[in-house]
Amino acid sequence: MTAIIEARGLTKSYGSTPVVRGIDLNVEAGRIVGLIGPNGAGKTTVIKAILGLTSFQGELKVLGMDPRTERDALMKEVCFIADVAVLPRWLKVSQAVDFVAGVHPRFDRKRALEFLAKTDIKMDSRVRQLSKGMVTQLHLALILAIDAKLLVLDEPTLGLDLLFRRSFYDNLLNDYFNKERTILVTTHQVEEIENILTDVLFIERGKIVLNSPMESLAERYMQLIPAAGNVDRARALKPFWEREIFGRVAMLFDGRNPQELAALGETRAPSVADLFVAMMQPIGTAQSPSKEAA
Amino acid sequence: MNNILWLIRREIWENRSLWIAPLVLGGVLLITAAFGGMHIGGNNGFSFGFNADSTSEAEVRHAIAGGPLDKRQFIYAATLSGFTVVQLLIMSIVLFFYLLDTLLAERKDRSILFWKSLPVSDTEVVASKLATAIVVVPLFVLTVSAVLHVLFGMVWWVRFHNSPLGGLLMSWDTVTWLNVQASFLLFIAVGILWYLPLMTYLMLVSVWARRNAFLWAVLPPLSILLIEAIISQSHYFADFLGRRLVGLFQLFDLESQLGKGHERLPALGDTLALISNPLSSQETWFGVLAAAAMFVVIVRIRRMRDDS
Repeated sequence: MTAIIEARGLTKSYGSTPVVRGIDLNVEAGRIVGLIGPNGAGKTTVIKAILGLTSFQGELKVLGMDPRTERDALMKEVCFIADVAVLPRWLKVSQAVDFVAGVHPRFDRKRALEFLAKTDIKMDSRVRQLSKGMVTQLHLALILAIDAKLLVLDEPTLGLDLLFRRSFYDNLLNDYFNKERTILVTTHQVEEIENILTDVLFIERGKIVLNSPMESLAERYMQLIPAAGNVDRARALKPFWEREIFGRVAMLFDGRNPQELAALGETRAPSVADLFVAMMQPIGTAQSPSKEAA
Repeated sequence: MNNILWLIRREIWENRSLWIAPLVLGGVLLITAAFGGMHIGGNNGFSFGFNADSTSEAEVRHAIAGGPLDKRQFIYAATLSGFTVVQLLIMSIVLFFYLLDTLLAERKDRSILFWKSLPVSDTEVVASKLATAIVVVPLFVLTVSAVLHVLFGMVWWVRFHNSPLGGLLMSWDTVTWLNVQASFLLFIAVGILWYLPLMTYLMLVSVWARRNAFLWAVLPPLSILLIEAIISQSHYFADFLGRRLVGLFQLFDLESQLGKGHERLPALGDTLALISNPLSSQETWFGVLAAAAMFVVIVRIRRMRDDS
């Protein structure tokens, strides 16, 4: 397996405020990696560094290239959606397709038009006439028609309704299976992407706090809802997080024997969203009654 | 090169005023020539305008009488040149705002994140914007005004061919027409060399400012000028600015080159003589060097800038 993204000690400060504090990262070819973190954790900065959009300290290689000095060559192999609302409002749909076809050697016009044909977008509309969801569909049609080795998506579905979000990820996943590519995606809607991810990265205050393939998450972490009399015995096993739902206590354990936990009550693999909340609010800091909903 | 052509196309898609303005202006000039009053004064003055009184046949006879044989041709060339000069003035204004806005607009609407996701380099982007301003738009404006001259000839013929004025003044002369086009092509080429640093300065402000590019372009030079005047009671900076703004015309030195009260059609040789002065001036080439340096800085700032 070849590394698509390799970072060693990636660091970035704005003025005297450190935003990214020495991140080490390895993304292998063919993975779908979710970069998940609260607002201001440094997600976007990491992504900008990978795309050569910002300066940074430390080592970073993307497809073997340094994004600081080899950005022009890198952009032939990488495509990204940094934000959904960045298509210029004066641009016509037909112009957008013509322009990308004109400058991008790996753009497949036929694919883009096929994708657009499935939407209500008209070729002679200007971006300003499209709804927000349509602009995203247009952007996605353009980007997914590029045969890139690495696709980077920063909050691609921000502000879109559920139907658009669902079809966005369906398209993304279909496309992923059609072509061998690597995807790095950040989002607030953890629940919506956890099924498509192969790897998760949690980032908090500029540091990676969890870096794991999805399949080993289930082996390592376990959620337990202890039977009524077993709460104290369960606590003795040192859960790293617990909360109360409907009068019962749910606890998360790291690296405990599943049989040992199963003897105390109901167990199941925690969702990525549960893990995320737990890791961002370790025991003692909060007893949040609500699930991460953002 | 392919990328540059696509990027230039992109500039024209975005900035439609670049091509709409000369067309609209051409239409207005044509309508003025067709329906407005016309004035021919004694001192080579010839003008169209809704305010100008129509000149009588006697006045035209008087204006032409006594001059050299080709005075009719001269009046004709001066008329065509008048149209082109108006086009070029408006073009300067349009280009001023285009250059000032071009690298700021893409950051304001954040579309820079889209452009930067495509394999076009910052050098190509900046070069395409500059090429739009110094090659594409001037050539388009000259073409529009050349066509305008032809249309003017038709309007003139329709309006005056039955009147005595039609016999006194020319409505068409291919040699003069070609001469005017060639002269303006040369003038524009020199003008672009001279104003190149001013144009790159505007782009520099555009890539640097977060907002209010106009103020950022105008206030700093104005402040330097005032501070110098107040502190040292001198005006070196004002002189420098003035020279960069109008020095080209001082270098052309129209009066001494053509002679006062010149009343013959300037030949292409005269035009070449006119532009030889600024072309051989160090000032012109220092300006070009400064523009090249600014170009490098603009590319660098666009590449490194991170405020999205």
